[in-house]
Amino acid sequence: MSILIDENTRVLVQGLTGAQGRRDARFCLDYGTRVVCGVTPGKAGESVHGVPVYDCVADAVAAHEIDAAVVYVPPLAARDAVLESLEAGLKLVVALAEFVPRHDTALIAATARAAGAAVVGCNTNGIISPGKSKLGAIGGDNPDEVFKPGRIGVCSRSGGMSAELALALKAGGFGVSTCVSMGGDVIPGTRMIEYIAMFMADNDTDAVVIFGEPGTRTEHEVADMLRRGECAKPVVALLAGEFQENYPDGVSFGHVAAMINAEGDTVSAKRKMLAEAGALIARSLGDIPVLLREAIADPR
Amino acid sequence: MYTLTENQTKQWLAARGFLTPKGNPAATPDEAAELASALGGGAVVKALVPTGRRGKAGAIRMAAAPDEAAAAAASMIGSTVHGFTVEQVYVEAQVGIADELYLGFSLDSFPPRVLASRHGGVDIEETHRTDPAAVVVAEIEPRHGLSIADAEALWRRAGINESSLDALATLTHDLYDAFKEAEAVTLEINPLAVTRDGGLSLVGAMMAIDENGLARHPDWAENADGSLIAAWRQFNERELRVAAANREIKGGAVRYTELDGDIGLLVGGGGAGLLQHDLMLAAGGRPANHTDTNPGAGIQEKFKTVINAILDNPNTNCLLVGFNHQQLTRCDQKVEPLVEVLDARGIDCREFPIVIRLVGPGEEEARALIADRPGVHYMPTEASLDDAVREIVAINKKLTAETA
Repeated sequence: MSILIDENTRVLVQGLTGAQGRRDARFCLDYGTRVVCGVTPGKAGESVHGVPVYDCVADAVAAHEIDAAVVYVPPLAARDAVLESLEAGLKLVVALAEFVPRHDTALIAATARAAGAAVVGCNTNGIISPGKSKLGAIGGDNPDEVFKPGRIGVCSRSGGMSAELALALKAGGFGVSTCVSMGGDVIPGTRMIEYIAMFMADNDTDAVVIFGEPGTRTEHEVADMLRRGECAKPVVALLAGEFQENYPDGVSFGHVAAMINAEGDTVSAKRKMLAEAGALIARSLGDIPVLLREAIADPR
Repeated sequence: MYTLTENQTKQWLAARGFLTPKGNPAATPDEAAELASALGGGAVVKALVPTGRRGKAGAIRMAAAPDEAAAAAASMIGSTVHGFTVEQVYVEAQVGIADELYLGFSLDSFPPRVLASRHGGVDIEETHRTDPAAVVVAEIEPRHGLSIADAEALWRRAGINESSLDALATLTHDLYDAFKEAEAVTLEINPLAVTRDGGLSLVGAMMAIDENGLARHPDWAENADGSLIAAWRQFNERELRVAAANREIKGGAVRYTELDGDIGLLVGGGGAGLLQHDLMLAAGGRPANHTDTNPGAGIQEKFKTVINAILDNPNTNCLLVGFNHQQLTRCDQKVEPLVEVLDARGIDCREFPIVIRLVGPGEEEARALIADRPGVHYMPTEASLDDAVREIVAINKKLTAETA
């Protein structure tokens, strides 16, 4: 097992005919991902790497069995592309674009929740279940160099750091069940706690490693989840960006934020909250395998 | 976040039919006096800077006559308010206020929220602190927006009596639409004035725009550079240069903020940059700057601007080039601009040591480009970000001990 994707996941690529879609689809196919079709408006009838292209998601869904979409569409068009796949009934959408306007990401998040779907991103480099499948740019053309199959679930706010977490695990003798770069936007399509819940329910995951940053309520939600006793497996947290607390905040603009956010969203506040709730706190990449070895009785 | 000045916010709102006091910017005391005369003599004079808390900072003054407006303008222009130099004042009509309300919208996190209070004015945060119930909050479902009925329920909870409800609910509904259309993350009307003739006037209005949404507002985006701030101060000349290059060169993104340490950081992406900065402080090193970079077509040119800025910063002793495993972008494309700048400036890396942690595609080529230069420490492939930070901190310690 793994979460979200495995060797059977059938994938639609929105924006397959573009440079990035074409390149990443090649790497995904080489890795074993079942890319079954693509969508680019106006390009129906074309094919890329032998994969047929349709004008819209509805046409693709009518012709193929599809489990997931990966979206290579520029930031201002990403919202409509993601909503198109959600409306077509897909339950997993990976949206890579960075710089998607925040109101668009809010609409995506609301729509995903109402549909009971997972939207990874926006602003993600993808997800990978090592040895089985990958969606997006994650791992590039040589995922094996970074992502070794194993039993640790990884969920990172940063796409680049997901690779570093996987390398730290590899160096420490661990491997990855699934690695989710959940996206660094203020409003992710799916929340970190939802991915953690999937890992908790996955028989092939022994522990979860998360990477967090300043801002947002992401880690507060994880702490709440731990406090509610919903995490039967160890959660190791590495948070970065504490240095920002050394510099002045400046005068806040307006009063709204001060009135909404009672607790701080600084790294040190989050770290304290997570530690008190029972997470294991890593201070460096090198700490991660050490903490995992202590927490897991029988590391594999 | 791009913070609009008060006149930009009010222009935007007035163009959408919202009632705002009449006002114009002035760059000199004479202009302020003229504008006050045109308004009938009396006016409010406000420092035109994109920051809050102006009232308490003495940057908002009432003027009973044109000469008072000129005096107020003279005292503000050239002064500094919360780190911003005042170049212009905003001269605005005084409004006969019967009651001050508060209305705010926020997309600080999911979902969007609306806040309302019947006790508006400069002390709204104090009101909220001592009597949280005086500020009512409602969540907004982005798929449906804020209905007039929901807005009415909100103001009813805030304790507004029936006679004003209809107008307030309609205004609140319309303002949420404007908030969304502006791609704003904050819109605050404080005070939302009930005028003596019973109208609703947006007397205080401030708006901050999501940077990603600026792409839909080219008129604001054009001026966005000037308000790029390090939150607590205006950008210096080197930072402005990087910001300008970032805007002018297409593709990719770089951010550069100077700090008070002596180790230059050319780091990224976002998360790996944050981690290396934290690790450096923990190891006893002090960064001379922070950088954040995103790959894209113009990134090599943008890199050169950042590297030049780092080298121009007189406090910088040495440099850490540290990135997460590249996965898809190439290591040599990051080293090329570095080599070009080093050569163009004739930098001897024995005097300006560089530690590089760059692994992934193009690593071999990158090593061939730079690794054999004396003073360049290209970390082995298996080295982690932790290792690279420890290395540069140790080198800097040795360096500063030698000069001391």
